[in-house]
Amino acid sequence: MTDSPGLVASTDPYVSRRRWFIPVVALLLLATAWAALSLGAVSVPSGEVLGVLAGKIGVDAFDEPSRQAEAVVWGIRMPRLLLAFAVGATLGLVGGVLQGLLRNDLADPHLLGIGPGAAIGAAIGSAAGGVQGAIAGGVTAGVITAFVVRRLSRRASIDPTMIILSGVALGAALAAWVGFVVFAADRSTVPPIEFWLLGSLTGSTWRALGTAFVFLLGSSIVMLSSAHLLDVMGLGEADARHLGIDVDLVLTVLLIAAGVAVGATVGAVGVIAFVGLLVPFVVRRVTGPSHRSLLFGALASGALFVAAADLVARLLIQPVEIPVGLVTAAVGGPVFLWLLTRRRDA
Amino acid sequence: MPETAVLADSLTYRIGDAVLVSEVDFEATPGSLIAVIGPNGAGKSTLLNLLAGNLQPSEGQVLLNGIDLSTALPGDLALARSMLTQRAPVDIPFTAAQVVAMGRFPYRRDDTNTSERDAEVVAEAMDRTDTTEFAARIYATLSGGERTRVSLARVLAQDTPIVLLDEPTTALDVAHEERVMRQTVQLSRRQRAVIVVLHDLNAAAVHADQIVLMSGGAIVARGRPRQVLEESLLSDVYQQPMVVVDHPFRDCPLVLTAEAP
Repeated sequence: MTDSPGLVASTDPYVSRRRWFIPVVALLLLATAWAALSLGAVSVPSGEVLGVLAGKIGVDAFDEPSRQAEAVVWGIRMPRLLLAFAVGATLGLVGGVLQGLLRNDLADPHLLGIGPGAAIGAAIGSAAGGVQGAIAGGVTAGVITAFVVRRLSRRASIDPTMIILSGVALGAALAAWVGFVVFAADRSTVPPIEFWLLGSLTGSTWRALGTAFVFLLGSSIVMLSSAHLLDVMGLGEADARHLGIDVDLVLTVLLIAAGVAVGATVGAVGVIAFVGLLVPFVVRRVTGPSHRSLLFGALASGALFVAAADLVARLLIQPVEIPVGLVTAAVGGPVFLWLLTRRRDA
Repeated sequence: MPETAVLADSLTYRIGDAVLVSEVDFEATPGSLIAVIGPNGAGKSTLLNLLAGNLQPSEGQVLLNGIDLSTALPGDLALARSMLTQRAPVDIPFTAAQVVAMGRFPYRRDDTNTSERDAEVVAEAMDRTDTTEFAARIYATLSGGERTRVSLARVLAQDTPIVLLDEPTTALDVAHEERVMRQTVQLSRRQRAVIVVLHDLNAAAVHADQIVLMSGGAIVARGRPRQVLEESLLSDVYQQPMVVVDHPFRDCPLVLTAEAP
């Protein structure tokens, strides 16, 4: 809709808000990146951080970094930051897509049960093949759970709150199964239950980032290219069909993409709750309902939210690191509650 | 353009043991305005949904501009027919203008269709439906009648040779009902085949070229308004005594309810 001039563009109430959105988010992303690379148990001065980064692209500039600074910034913090960005961006995007697809602003990949479902596969996969096995298992189980959710949402399609309620019930049952798998598995190879259900970026590796990134990139491209379709599907299933959209095909393809995306994030970092709920909700206030700006906005803001939440998780109770999912839930839970009560008032 | 825009052959639609539409033949030519009337549960909306391709018939087939519905691609279908539904969601967060612009979605991949052309068609559709004044308002905040007019504008923007309207005037005041019906007539004058489900028998009497009367899933009468709107037939089908007189100002019948004996 943004590509039609005249009446349509001139009546878009969000045009001016969108203008300042990109620079603000870009600045905040930079600030978060600086803090994530510089702050922590070992504080690395900005000059040295820049020195490490410059050295990696073969430029000899800024301060000469120490070996320790290089190990901390490039070996530990950089993959962690990039994984936080990638996971957050994807979860924000998936949330925006699912909310559009189900016409329901309460939809969130983890509240719907896709995250806990993926975690079962990821836990099994990690017993077999480390982080790569976890991501493969998460992707597989994520896609399967996405289709279970589809069946549930068909039945409950009259009442959007019912879909979420059935998703929460499904998620609780699946989370229990994650526990069974974890406690049955070898403790030395499979991460503990709090990793899977609360999420953690501790110990992020370049290998985990690389493996997850393949899945995240592929699924994100599919989801981003659906923006225009999701706009029209906002008219409801019947009118979307009248306008030539193969609704079932779109639903299937996007649910596969969402399952892959969520599964890959869960395999890499566990379930980080509420990102998919909170981020599109906030971004929509700024970009408006048009999915092209909403989805790109959710991508950028999701990256920002998870990276910032991970900073809090690392720095709040030093030297203890708390699971990042606790931080996102502490923010997201109340917003979810507020959304629920507002829905009842409506 | 083929001579017959809509051709349905022996359509039957069943859910379990219930027969909602039974062996209906239906034909519409470009430039005709056909009103489908009948009591609640007569199968009017089901028939329209079968013609639109929203429902798969249990038996029979539908051709729209020569395209067989059972094998048609959704994109091709969207260029052949548009439809105004009765129960569309109301919580649409887009502006009225954005909703109308979605009517241009089927043309998106067409190189000859520029965005300027889209904008023209959208503006014209909103002008015709009297909706330009609330172009910038969010659809969800409009009244029922305003939403119907915006949806109709979206249907006009889709600009298809076949137009299916399911009770377009139900939520409208008399002035806008008249306007919408006049738009519908103009659509047929522009060589569209227009099929409209109506509850208001007099709107059908005034505006339709042809009336199809349904009862119990079957077509019980079809023809010009004077042929179909007939006292004993209507009284029988609606189970309500009816009187048909000449309209005092217009060249058509006027249907009134009578007191039960």
